Amino acid sequence: MPVEMMIPPALYMIAGAFILPILPKNLRAGIFILFPMIALAAIWSLPDGYLIKTTFVNYELILCEVSRLTRIFGIIFSLIAVIGGVYSYHQKEVGQQSAALLYAGGALGVTFAGDYFTLFIFWELMAVASTYLVWARRNKEAEKAGMRYLLVHLFGGSLLLTGILIHVGHTGSILITRLIPDGSVSSWLILAGVALNTAIPPLHAWLADAYPKATVTGAVFLSAFTTKSAVLILIKIFSGWEVLIFLGVMMALYGVVYAVLANDIREILAYHIISQVGYMVAGVGIGTEMAINGTTAHAFSHILYKALLFMGAGVVLQTTGRSKLTELGGIAKKQPVTLWLYMIGAFSISGFPLFNGFISKSMVVAAAGDAHFDTAMLLLLLASVGTFLHTGLKLPYFTWWNKSKEEIIPTKPPLNMHVGMAMAAFFCIMFGVYPSLLYNYLPFAVNYEPYTLYHLTESVQILTFTFIAFWLLRIKLAGEPTIAIDTDWFYRRTAKLVERVFVDSVNSVFDYTEKISIRVVECFVQFGRNPLAIFFEEERGTDYHADQHRASTQLLTVLIVLSFVLFALVSLII
Amino acid sequence: MTKLHWIILGVITLTSLVAEFVFLADYPNKHWWSYIPAFYIIWGFIGCVGIIYISKWLGKMFLQKKEDYYDAG
Repeated sequence: MPVEMMIPPALYMIAGAFILPILPKNLRAGIFILFPMIALAAIWSLPDGYLIKTTFVNYELILCEVSRLTRIFGIIFSLIAVIGGVYSYHQKEVGQQSAALLYAGGALGVTFAGDYFTLFIFWELMAVASTYLVWARRNKEAEKAGMRYLLVHLFGGSLLLTGILIHVGHTGSILITRLIPDGSVSSWLILAGVALNTAIPPLHAWLADAYPKATVTGAVFLSAFTTKSAVLILIKIFSGWEVLIFLGVMMALYGVVYAVLANDIREILAYHIISQVGYMVAGVGIGTEMAINGTTAHAFSHILYKALLFMGAGVVLQTTGRSKLTELGGIAKKQPVTLWLYMIGAFSISGFPLFNGFISKSMVVAAAGDAHFDTAMLLLLLASVGTFLHTGLKLPYFTWWNKSKEEIIPTKPPLNMHVGMAMAAFFCIMFGVYPSLLYNYLPFAVNYEPYTLYHLTESVQILTFTFIAFWLLRIKLAGEPTIAIDTDWFYRRTAKLVERVFVDSVNSVFDYTEKISIRVVECFVQFGRNPLAIFFEEERGTDYHADQHRASTQLLTVLIVLSFVLFALVSLII
Repeated sequence: MTKLHWIILGVITLTSLVAEFVFLADYPNKHWWSYIPAFYIIWGFIGCVGIIYISKWLGKMFLQKKEDYYDAG
């Protein structure tokens, strides 16, 4: 193997993050795109079984391990970084550009990590880099949400690290291998840490809290990396854990319920990340070859159409300054390109035939049926109703078509934003029309045909009657100027109580101790200034003067000496 | 929605029903719901209505709060 090839793909992105700041400002956005393109080419060329190993202390680290599974994830992470780079070409802030590359590098590092140590390092890199994409919005909401996002992810990282340390202590191995559901503490801690990044309820609230508050371009990267890299780790470690079927189905429906209540368009999309990742988590839980193929294919499709949807919502936010359904409407004729590119993403996520969601989501649902998880299959079909209802109907209807309270005149978006959207839309259609382009690269040989008459009939009937029900009840879905409380309530609403118990009470103890200490020190000082103050109240606050106090001091000394002598004599006699 | 739109939806629905009852009449039933005629029409419609009403009910019961809920603390 030539020496120049021994570079983990993550390093191309990370190198880019450090090179960009030293380049001229006008060149950065263009060169940004080169780094994920180089990473993409490198990943494409790496053979199965390719390993980069090194030794750290007494452990062998696997910095890069290429398999069919990791390659397909690496390809889509690099591809979406290219598309995201095009979409954010107009964005000249180097901090965001570098953070996006670091974040993508972290995702690639997690993807190809063969050991827990490497995994953890890149895991934390993703958390830190992605936080900046929230903070870069530079308003009070984003600042607070970013801090919550960071703290929650550090908590998740701590769970993961604790699990890893216990696991390594028990097994002596730091290599990432599939864990059996043996109920060990280490396995559950690792699962909890990964589940937090996968946004499995109740560890999911960070996603719907932070993504809507991120920058327009940052949200596109956020929608792609964290949850999907965590899904990959779930596949590697927890495939076949049946508890994940329950959790996956639950989160598919959970996101749907909250999307009804959300008013912010990017919050609706954020809740539908949770819902769509639910399909993947359920697929991991089923654990069959078909289910793992379906999970992988759906992660691939999801990254493309979800980025496209966030790009569309980002254009709306950028050109109108608004992101709430209650403040939008009536702009369909003013931005038809944005609308119809968005709708390609909406058709894809809803599973319309000829779009990529159709060929991937159905594979997970069919895998549930084939493995005789009938209830899970039926509930996943129900979740797909909710997906079309919100992403394909509610959001575009109230954002673009419905009459607004006042006329909105959107500004013209930069051309590159539409080019980025068009690139994602192209891939959504390409993989929908030619599923074999994706199926040929899935982890296992594919024995599934999406374009059957049965599947087409099923999809057409569900989608048609979801639309009819929406049309009849659309008034009920109009945005309301409210928020819906989620599990972040426990650390947001109770923050003051927690502050009172853990901060204010500790502060009071410290204050009291400080006062006592100062009082004691004052007494010593007083004693040093004038020892007589201990015995005579009138002496307090005065200094000792030898001439003034000689008589009283002598008297006191004599009294003490006499007392001592008297005491000594008495003790001798007795 | 114009009349034409409703007609198009009607044609799509009828086509799917023809496919279900004519071309898929002998399709092997894998699941219990496969025996219910036009099940996916029912599931799509009832599911959509259910999602809207149940979510709204949950929202009104305890989930929905004023926008300054956390700031008002």
